Amino acid sequence: MTRVMVVDDHPMWREGVGRDLAAAGYDVVAATGEGRQAVRIAAAARPDVVVLDLQLPDVSGVEVINGLRAELPGVRILMLSASGEQQDVLDAVKAGATGYLLKSAGLAEFLEAVSRTAAGDTVFTPGLAGLVLGEFRRLAVGPFDKTAPKLTERETEVLRLVAKGLSYRQIAERLVLSHRTVQNHVQNTLGKLQLHNRVELTRYAIEQGLD
Amino acid sequence: MHQGRDTGFQAPLWRAIAVYRIAALTYATILVVRNFPHYQRPMLAWPVLAIMAGWTVFTTYAYADPARRRPQLFVADLLITVGALAASVPIVGRVALESGKPTLAVAWHVAPVLAWAVAGGRRGGIAAAVIMGATDLIVRAHYDQAAYTGSVLMLLAAIAVGYLVRMAEDAHNRLQRAVELEAATRERERLARDIHDSVLQVLALVQRRETGELARLAGETEAALRHLVARHAAETVDDRSEVDLMTLLGPYASASVTISGPAGPVRLPGSAARELAAAVAAALDNVGQHCPSGTKAFLLVEDEPGEVVVTVRDDGPGIAPDRLAEAAAQGRLGVVQSIRGRVADLGGRTTIVSAPGEGTEVEMRVGR
Repeated sequence: MTRVMVVDDHPMWREGVGRDLAAAGYDVVAATGEGRQAVRIAAAARPDVVVLDLQLPDVSGVEVINGLRAELPGVRILMLSASGEQQDVLDAVKAGATGYLLKSAGLAEFLEAVSRTAAGDTVFTPGLAGLVLGEFRRLAVGPFDKTAPKLTERETEVLRLVAKGLSYRQIAERLVLSHRTVQNHVQNTLGKLQLHNRVELTRYAIEQGLD
Repeated sequence: MHQGRDTGFQAPLWRAIAVYRIAALTYATILVVRNFPHYQRPMLAWPVLAIMAGWTVFTTYAYADPARRRPQLFVADLLITVGALAASVPIVGRVALESGKPTLAVAWHVAPVLAWAVAGGRRGGIAAAVIMGATDLIVRAHYDQAAYTGSVLMLLAAIAVGYLVRMAEDAHNRLQRAVELEAATRERERLARDIHDSVLQVLALVQRRETGELARLAGETEAALRHLVARHAAETVDDRSEVDLMTLLGPYASASVTISGPAGPVRLPGSAARELAAAVAAALDNVGQHCPSGTKAFLLVEDEPGEVVVTVRDDGPGIAPDRLAEAAAQGRLGVVQSIRGRVADLGGRTTIVSAPGEGTEVEMRVGR
C-alpha cells in the first residue's frame, strides 16, 4: 500500500484530502499543517508520497522540499497550491517536487495525480509547462553559462503542447510517439532543471567556502 | 508661481539661496568699504547696506517655510533689490559708476532672480532676470561688453536653475509614485496571504465537494480572486514605459480558460500589449460563440528573444481545413479577420490550425 503524508495548514482541507486518499486505498501515515513538523514527522512516518501545500505558515515550500529530500531521498512530492504563485511553483519544481496541481482540480484528477506521482511519473499542468518553458528561455538568454541547460527541439515541442492543454495521449498521437516517450520527454525537462539547480547551489557553496 | 508647497527637495535649494545672499552681502560690503572714497554721498551707503542686511535676514527666515512663500514676498524681494540697486545712482554717483565702480548691490541682486527661478521655473526666472538685468544696465549706464555679460549670465543662470528645478520636481514626483506603488504592492501581498489562508481554500474545497452550478461558481470566483491577489499592479510608474502582458491577460483566466506563461513579466510597449490582449479576447470570444459549452481554452504566452508568441487553443470540435478556406472565401470569418488585422497592425502574423476533433489553435507572433 502506498504511504502518503498530507501537509496543509488548512484543517478542513487536510481532513478532506486525507479521507479521499483513504477511500481510494492509500495509507495516510501522517497529516500536519506545519513545514518544520512535516520534515520531523517524515523521518519516522516514511511516506512514499507527500502531498504538499506550497504556502505554509512557518517555512517556504522550497525549505520543506529540501528538508524532506534530505530525510528521505527517494520521496515523491506532489505540490498543491491555491494561489498559483508562479515563482513559488517554479522554485519548488527546481528543488525537486515532481508534480504540481492546482487545488481547484477535481477529485478524479487529484487521485490520478497521486497515483502517477507514486508510480514515479511527473505530473504537469499546462501552467507548469509554461513556467518550465519560460525558465529554460530565461536561462538561455541570461549571462553566458556553460552549465545552463538546454531543451532539445523535441522536448520544446512536447512542453509547448502540454502548455496548450493537450493530454499525453493526444501529444503521442500528434507526434507519432509512444505515451511512454512523451512522459520521458516531460520528465527529462524537469530533471535538467533540477540538476542545474543543484549545480548552481554547489557552485554557490564552493564560492562561499573559498572566499 | 507655485507658492505654498515644498516637495522635499526644495528646502535645500532655498537654503542655498540664503547662503548665496549672505555671501553676496559680504562681498558687496567689502566693495563698499574699498570704494568708499570714490562715492558721491558715502555716508548714505551705510543705511542701504543695513537695509540689505535686514532684508537678507528676513528673506532667510521668510523663504524657509513654504507657507510664507507667497507672491507678495517674491514681488517685495524683487522691488527692494531693485531699490537697493537704484540707490547706487545718487550714492555712488554717475561719474564713479561710469568709470566702472560697482553698484551697492553687486552680486546680491542675483538672489531674487534665483528665488523666482526656483519658485516659478524658467518663465519666472527669465522675467525676474530681465527686470533685474535692465535695472542693472540702466544704473551702471555704461553699455560695454562686461556690463552685458553680467546680465546675460544672470539670465542664463535663471534659465538653468528653472529648468533643473522642474526636472528635479518631475523626478521627485516619479519617486513619490514609485514609493506609493510599492506600498500598494506590499498591501496587496498582505491581502493575498490573508485571502489565501481563508477564502481560496474554502472555495477550492467547495469546488471539489459540490457538483454543478455551485462548483462552477466557486471555480470562477476562485480564479478571479486568484488573479486579483497573484499579480502585481498593472499601473506602471511611467505611462510611456512597457507593460506586462501577463497582467493584461490575467483577467481572462476562469474555470474554462487556463493561462500559462513564464514566471516573470512579459514586457511589451503599452499599446502593443493592449492590442495583443484585445486580439486574445476576440479569440476567446470566438471559442465561446462557436464551441459547445464546457469547451476549455488554453492560453500560452512565450517570451522569446525576438518576439512574443501567444497561442489560444480550444479543445472544441475544430474545423476542417477546406471548410476554413470556404468560410474565408465567403467572408464569414469576421472574428478571425479582426484577430489577423490587430496582429498585422503590430507587424506580427497569425497562424490558425484546426482539424475536426482536434480543436482550433490560433497562434499570434508579434516582434519586439
